[in-house]
Amino acid sequence: MESQRAASPLDPENPLLSRVDAVLNWARAYSFWPMFFGLSCCFIEEITAWTPRYDISRFGAEVLRGSPRQSDLLIISGTVFKKIAQVVLRLYEQMTEPKWVISMGSCSNCGGMYDCYSVVQGVDQFLPVDLYIPGCPPRPEAVLQALVLLQKKVRSERSTRKVFHLSGGSQGTQAPIRVDGVSKSRDPRGPGYYGTPPRGTAVTPPWFRESRAEVMWTPPPRRFELSEADLSLAQVLQVRFGDAVRREEETSDMPSFQVAGDRVKEVLRFLKTEASPRFKGLTDLTAVDESTRQTRQNYPDYTLVYHLLAFEPPTRLRLKVPLHGLDPVTPSITDIWPSADWYERECFDMFGIRFDGHPRLWRLLMPHDWEGHPLRKSYPDRGTALPPYTLESARKYQPLDAAKFMEGRVGEKEFLLNVGPHHTSTHGLIRFILALKGEKITALDTDIGYHHRAAEKIGERQSWYQYIPYTDRIDYLTGVANNLSYLQAVETLADIKVPDRAQFIRVMLTEFFRLSNHLVWFGTHPQDVGAMTPTFYTFVDREKIMDIIEFITGGRLHPSWFRLGGVAMDLPEGWKPLVDDFVKVFPQRLKEYEALVTKNPIFEARNRGIGCLSLEEALDWGVTGPNLRACGLEWDLRKKFPYSGYEAFDFDIPTAATGDSYGRYLVRVEEMRQSLRIIEQAANRMPPGRYVTDDYRYAIPVKNDTLKDIESLIHHFINVSRGPKIPRGEAYAATEHARGEQGFYVVSDGGIMAYRLRNRSPGFANVQALPLMAVGHLLADLIAIIGSIDYVMPDIDR
Amino acid sequence: MHPVTSAMLSPWMPGLFSFALFVALVLAALAVVLFLTSWLGDKKTDPEKARPYECGVIPTGWARFRYPVPFYLVAVFFLIFDVEAAFIFSWAVAMEDLSWRGWLQISFFIIVLLLSLFYIWKKGGLDWSPSVPPRPLTRKTRS
Repeated sequence: MESQRAASPLDPENPLLSRVDAVLNWARAYSFWPMFFGLSCCFIEEITAWTPRYDISRFGAEVLRGSPRQSDLLIISGTVFKKIAQVVLRLYEQMTEPKWVISMGSCSNCGGMYDCYSVVQGVDQFLPVDLYIPGCPPRPEAVLQALVLLQKKVRSERSTRKVFHLSGGSQGTQAPIRVDGVSKSRDPRGPGYYGTPPRGTAVTPPWFRESRAEVMWTPPPRRFELSEADLSLAQVLQVRFGDAVRREEETSDMPSFQVAGDRVKEVLRFLKTEASPRFKGLTDLTAVDESTRQTRQNYPDYTLVYHLLAFEPPTRLRLKVPLHGLDPVTPSITDIWPSADWYERECFDMFGIRFDGHPRLWRLLMPHDWEGHPLRKSYPDRGTALPPYTLESARKYQPLDAAKFMEGRVGEKEFLLNVGPHHTSTHGLIRFILALKGEKITALDTDIGYHHRAAEKIGERQSWYQYIPYTDRIDYLTGVANNLSYLQAVETLADIKVPDRAQFIRVMLTEFFRLSNHLVWFGTHPQDVGAMTPTFYTFVDREKIMDIIEFITGGRLHPSWFRLGGVAMDLPEGWKPLVDDFVKVFPQRLKEYEALVTKNPIFEARNRGIGCLSLEEALDWGVTGPNLRACGLEWDLRKKFPYSGYEAFDFDIPTAATGDSYGRYLVRVEEMRQSLRIIEQAANRMPPGRYVTDDYRYAIPVKNDTLKDIESLIHHFINVSRGPKIPRGEAYAATEHARGEQGFYVVSDGGIMAYRLRNRSPGFANVQALPLMAVGHLLADLIAIIGSIDYVMPDIDR
Repeated sequence: MHPVTSAMLSPWMPGLFSFALFVALVLAALAVVLFLTSWLGDKKTDPEKARPYECGVIPTGWARFRYPVPFYLVAVFFLIFDVEAAFIFSWAVAMEDLSWRGWLQISFFIIVLLLSLFYIWKKGGLDWSPSVPPRPLTRKTRS
């Protein structure tokens, strides 16, 4: 009673109104209607607050609403992208009165670690905010605390006057919108430093003036030895194309060829259809802006890079095409690989390279009305270097109209529907534009880029170590598994050896995250087709995994725990019983989940024969991971290109023959069992020894060593501050990620940061193939199909 | 089964006054509720708020157009057969009294119903899924 009085002070003018205030506010504070709205990683932690361990219903706010019309609480959970900001504002304006806003996480509060061109530096620049939750991401408990604080705020409002249209009174969010330079400063150092680079010129791209990297020495990069087959292929290419194809002498990861721009299509077609082995897969297509190389004269203006993959035997190949001029033109290869469609659009969007013969060379990631090409070296690397995003910007820039996407593809009887960017079933910020005849989908287009966090541009201004936390956030459901993909690439380039113990620790944690990802998927996919229950079960086990992860690494979603040459620290005392407990309990739990779902007639009816993809199409479109295995191909990088010691483990590759949503379901469920097998083996056979390499040129030295010898101390100092220099060269490395092939292509110009950092993401290719699976089905089937593909937005948009 | 007598039913004693009072009370309650919902609370009428919600983007086209709704057909069929079930129930209640003659009549009725059901079935009126099957699994890829 005492606290109640304190929370709602008496209306000085009217004691009667203050009594009504107390009742009204009490009712409001304990029955929030939060909108089902999430932007990125934070939403995972937000939604975890709804699951059994945290149980937000204790606070009377558990009923998530799918539409803004029914919601009065907006939790901005995650990064506010410029492409989504106008949508956020519209949702806010469509909510009921009165309404409250919680800004969750550093990104939403101020842009956080994403000071880049595509992110709004704080949602309060165009929306009023009641409460800020700090953290990256904040834990579920923080959401609960924010809710309690908001309840307190609501109980101190004077709502009665507003409700009865009397003068004065207050309710809902009253905070003003912040204006850059007036009521806030986007500069992390505070106001008054404009004009000076935030961290000094030595770490400011693109020139890195006076960087000490120039005087640092490193051994040469790793040298890749070509096999007999590689040499004979080089021979064949030489005979067939003469001077147009030139083998690069020194590579670190795979055979690489320079191809003349006018012959590239011929060469690619030859490699796909005639060469031995046949390179059936286009793994990746990207470009490098070579304009700020240290030895400029040795490079063209741009280099176009194709990564090809042969399945039988597993072989990789790189083609590089030099391009000249500011806006070069090159032939499109969409008629050879349909999957090149999005890759070429991305290159056009990011570099301004034009592809002759591309059916629809539009922007892909950036908004349609964006100016400039962000991955060019001339483009500003920081968001704070661009004008602030304001309320006016949010009103002015609008997503492209659906009719524009469907131009020439729809008849009179069809109508257009947007599913997303804000939709409870799209699993993130993605927009599907559908042409419907009745309930049947006759055409589908996908608009991505709503979650584009400039991960590749940021890689050019963060040291090799500083970039590790960014990789965690590329696929926010698989944490350290992303670290592994990135580090594989850098370790390949610099030839860093990783000790056995570190390999095993990496494998164990990576598999834990695969399991954790599949548990989230197991909760959400059945939910998409109508089963509420599994989420509440699987998140219980996911929390157990999170406990283990937290015990070992100290983090939950984004531990950023792997380092060059090993991991951040040794396994803590007492890790084994925790893992053993989990391994013992989980099989039984999985059996229970399966009993709920696998033979469920509704689940089967919704998934069998839905969203079929043939193996040929899957290969052509670059589909990887469980989605590819569900088409019948036993393809798993852990077996085909073993890395991180996976060859030491005994596990099977589950496949399905049907290629439909149900097949994808079965493959993932079986993958959970296999992951568990690997975890068990890793835990039981954990080798003794170092957890990080003793090659201290690149690794962060063990703290104890730094106290004993000066060499280690110096390396420690250099590697945690300036960061190591990585020798000039390039490397592509990929891992079998929870969703498929996640690869990193790192290009070093001998600096303490990557010259170009490219992320080949599985989701990008998997989702591009969506129209093949969905067109011809009913609208409701689309939801089942996207649930079965299991994508996550930052992995697609990066 | 016994024949229904008037003693088995509740008595019908029309009273105009109580009926009028009831109507007045209902109207008054409705008026109060409507008035309170329209008057109480904060209102905001800007174009964004008035705009239809479509996943946060501006919708394309106009919502008033002819839209094929298979669900509607299924619903109508359900309604028709549901009403017919009511006839069958009433026959079942009085089955003994209606004797074989009644049985023959209702059998004829049911047969007609079944024929029409088969007819609808054959015409595809119960198929909710698209009439054209989805894309075949092996399609020639573009080359």
